[in-house]
Amino acid sequence: MLVLLAAIFLLHIACICLLLAATIHNAWWITDTMSTDIWSRWILTAGGNWNYTEIPAFYPKEYLQAVQASSVLACIFCILGLFVFVAQLYTLPKGKRFLFTGAFQLLAWLCIMIAASIYTDIFHKDKEPGWYGASFILAWISVCLTFISCITYFVLRKKTA
Amino acid sequence: MLSVLALTSVVLLSIASQITAIVVYTSWERHALVGSDVRLSCSFFSWHWTSPDVTFSWQYRPDGAKEGISIFHYGGGAAYVDNKGPFRDRLEFVGNPSRRDGSILIKNLDFSDNGTFTCDAKNPPDIVGHSSSVRLLVFEKVPVQAGVITGAIIGVVLGLLILVVAIYYLMRFLVARRVFSLSMSKHGKKGKGKEGSQQKQALAVADPVKLKAAASEKKKQESRREKK
Repeated sequence: MLVLLAAIFLLHIACICLLLAATIHNAWWITDTMSTDIWSRWILTAGGNWNYTEIPAFYPKEYLQAVQASSVLACIFCILGLFVFVAQLYTLPKGKRFLFTGAFQLLAWLCIMIAASIYTDIFHKDKEPGWYGASFILAWISVCLTFISCITYFVLRKKTA
Repeated sequence: MLSVLALTSVVLLSIASQITAIVVYTSWERHALVGSDVRLSCSFFSWHWTSPDVTFSWQYRPDGAKEGISIFHYGGGAAYVDNKGPFRDRLEFVGNPSRRDGSILIKNLDFSDNGTFTCDAKNPPDIVGHSSSVRLLVFEKVPVQAGVITGAIIGVVLGLLILVVAIYYLMRFLVARRVFSLSMSKHGKKGKGKEGSQQKQALAVADPVKLKAAASEKKKQESRREKK
């Protein structure tokens, strides 16, 4: 039983780490000399230095800020969910499900899915040079992991006597 | 005591006015629409009292130009606005020098007004200090500023979440209180003679909140023991 608890806890922490990495690291779209989105753009200069520059003005600003907001919200909900899980471990009556924690993970799943979907559908549609970077992949992996975590919390029951 | 305080403050002020300089404040950047008016504010901080010889001067440097031209000067109690340069008939002084405010109003903006405006204020004898610049950007349509929509979405969602949780706990508290008061009145009606013991009973039996707390305490201890 302790192993199961540890595994669920580790899954939740993995979700948090992946979400934070996807949100903070500016690597949703990369080329050999550029690493960009969602906050700003890193450009490799001829001298071998990386310069921190603004995202160009032709990006649709409203969609970019929506992606920023929902990925930050996903991180917040996942972290809050961890604290709620620990609280529910101690206060939940026996035999009951971890619904409150599951609700937070569900919200986190919704938010990161919204962020990843908007980014995939709106940005980089015309054949720009480059490919999807680490943060983009981590965002989609977080979608799967948070979903699994959410289902786990909705199904898990506290140990009865 | 009061005199000592007054003396130290006067000494500190006189020392401070020797070593600190005048500090001029303007905005960092101003965004405005074509054809509208914009108010460029300028204020300063100085340890000296505002002197009657205070001066404000504004300089304009267009984007890409190397040097700026002077467009406004206030000195000796009178304001002198631009009457030959790009801002003739469009500049107005709306500041209050005695309140350390040297703001100007530019009317009917055009795309050629993009540039940097520098305000320099002098408060004799405090004349040493840096001037401060404000960048004017003129748009056809004011763009969405970075982070406004992001902050709005995050704030609204978190606010809704807090509201929902608060309402949930409030409902639970109100329902518990209502059940408690109902059972209190029931027990109160039944036993008027044996008030003492029956009231105690009612308090012990009909307090669902306390019951729940006691039950969950037991369960918590059991679950802890079992988990270990």
